[in-house]
Amino acid sequence: MSIFEGRGLTVKYGAVVALDNIDISLEPGLVHGVIGPNGAGKSTFIDALSGRKRPSSGKVLLDGSDITRRSARWRRTKGVSRSFQRTSVFGSMTVGEQLEMVARKNDEPDLEGIMKTLGLDEIRDRVCSEIAYGTQRSVDLAIALIGQPRVVLLDEPCAGLVADESVRMLDHVRTVCKERNVAALLVEHDVEGVFRTCDVITVLDLGKLLATGDPASVRADENVIRAYLGSAA
Amino acid sequence: MTTTAPADDITGDMVEPATVKRGRPGRMLIGLGVGIAVLLVGLAVPYVVTDTYRMSLLLDATILSMLALGIGFMARHLGMISLGHGAFFGTAAYAVGVAITNWGWSPLNAVIFAILLGSALALVMGVLVVRASGFGFLMLTLALSQALYQLSVQISAREWTGAYDGKLITYEPDMTFLGLTQADLINPGLFWPFAWSALVVSGIVLWVVGRSKFGTTLEGIRENEERMRFSGYNTFLPRLIAFVLSGSVASLGGALFAMNAGYISPQILGFTQAGDSLIAALIGGFGIILGPVIGTFLFVYAQANFNFGGNLHLLTGLLLIVVLVFMPGGITGTLQKVYRRIRGKDRQVSDERGRSGRDIASDRADASELRAENEQ
Repeated sequence: MSIFEGRGLTVKYGAVVALDNIDISLEPGLVHGVIGPNGAGKSTFIDALSGRKRPSSGKVLLDGSDITRRSARWRRTKGVSRSFQRTSVFGSMTVGEQLEMVARKNDEPDLEGIMKTLGLDEIRDRVCSEIAYGTQRSVDLAIALIGQPRVVLLDEPCAGLVADESVRMLDHVRTVCKERNVAALLVEHDVEGVFRTCDVITVLDLGKLLATGDPASVRADENVIRAYLGSAA
Repeated sequence: MTTTAPADDITGDMVEPATVKRGRPGRMLIGLGVGIAVLLVGLAVPYVVTDTYRMSLLLDATILSMLALGIGFMARHLGMISLGHGAFFGTAAYAVGVAITNWGWSPLNAVIFAILLGSALALVMGVLVVRASGFGFLMLTLALSQALYQLSVQISAREWTGAYDGKLITYEPDMTFLGLTQADLINPGLFWPFAWSALVVSGIVLWVVGRSKFGTTLEGIRENEERMRFSGYNTFLPRLIAFVLSGSVASLGGALFAMNAGYISPQILGFTQAGDSLIAALIGGFGIILGPVIGTFLFVYAQANFNFGGNLHLLTGLLLIVVLVFMPGGITGTLQKVYRRIRGKDRQVSDERGRSGRDIASDRADASELRAENEQ
């Protein structure tokens, strides 16, 4: 049984179907990538899974039980956390303060370890709004990783990062996922990055599921090539 | 702020983002020591200021400061601007009047009842309004306090509030409040110790709360409410608690106001009262806990001295514009900035003297300097 599942998730904005009957299942220790062109419904998808947006129909399951109507807070205390595409940190607080604050709510035995892995231990006393954007993205990721969540939903962690920052960020994601045996969902724009990082990949297009599987089979999938990769490669 | 601020968040313009520091118990002890010293020194004021008129101005400012302190607490820690705290202040004042006059209660019991009633009102109102942010919160608190004002001036409320005539508090014969007779209560010099102690103790309590872990939670909610929820925090309850706490402080002020004045005008629940207090707090600045208090003292002083030709509100308005445009952090905020600039220059000078290629050390110094600055 998968630890975290979405079944038949559909989200409608008025008459527009942003997400049409999508299934997904996450396994501990695997990074599951979700890619798709602009407007594919990637962000809506992660919002529906994380409780930010209630799906019009479909279910979200944690350990097989239905959590579709549970609040974001409830999900977090049960081990489902997420990061945000638009950097979502606590601007006026220092890096250390905000991570300690989050750690206070979500028991974290190894806060130092997280800070070291993400390279934040050097700047713990800096006020978050004054550090570089790329570093803020790491703080955002750290906030999501505190408290040993079992499921981490990452919404474009590399948005706005330059190429080498991007590579490092994805390396971090993979390392943490493997080390902590986390089930990770990685929504990302950077297609090559996803193919390099993920164990399983799901491709969305216009709210529909195009393909899902291991990177090699997804890369070879005709639908994917036609709709998405073909135009890029 | 790098966070996603709600589009209707008007408070960002009025409140400079303040970093509230907490933690080290040493600083906390120093703060408490300073607080107690201020309390003791303040008690000597009636011996220095012998003029009754001046003394009564100081007393008015002290009592109104508690209202501003409550408003300031919400603004500082949650970025929420309230026009509803006047309702708690006024309700507590009326509660004192009704309990003493209509029910014949002892003044002490009446004051305790008034604080509880004001806090209970804050709880009920808080449940309804603290979910709103920015402009919504401002308007809801205004609406609720205006509704209360309208209730208080209804003809049918005359028995309780005196409607437009106001409420004269009449005591049972020989009643005393902590040793003061009714005549003593009106004497500003004799009433001063109660008002001053109440203000300083309220200030210390709010300061300690602001620096506690609970204070960090409030700051987190102010900075990024959504991320707090997604980090497992309940964001409603802390806001409600802060609202009730700040409402209690305003209620305490209202109860003391009624004890001292002996008469409650319906204007106490009106928009002008809440607005004046907010203006005073804005002028003082929300960045530090003293800001609203300093603002209120200045406001009361200015009101007493510049009220010629009925142009008080014109002058108030002009002053507010000047402060908001040229001193966005209020008076205390601007003083802090000046102080930092001076310290910044000192640092540059010493940097130039001590430049010896120890980059790492100076980086560290910068970091701790930054921290120190933010502790102001």
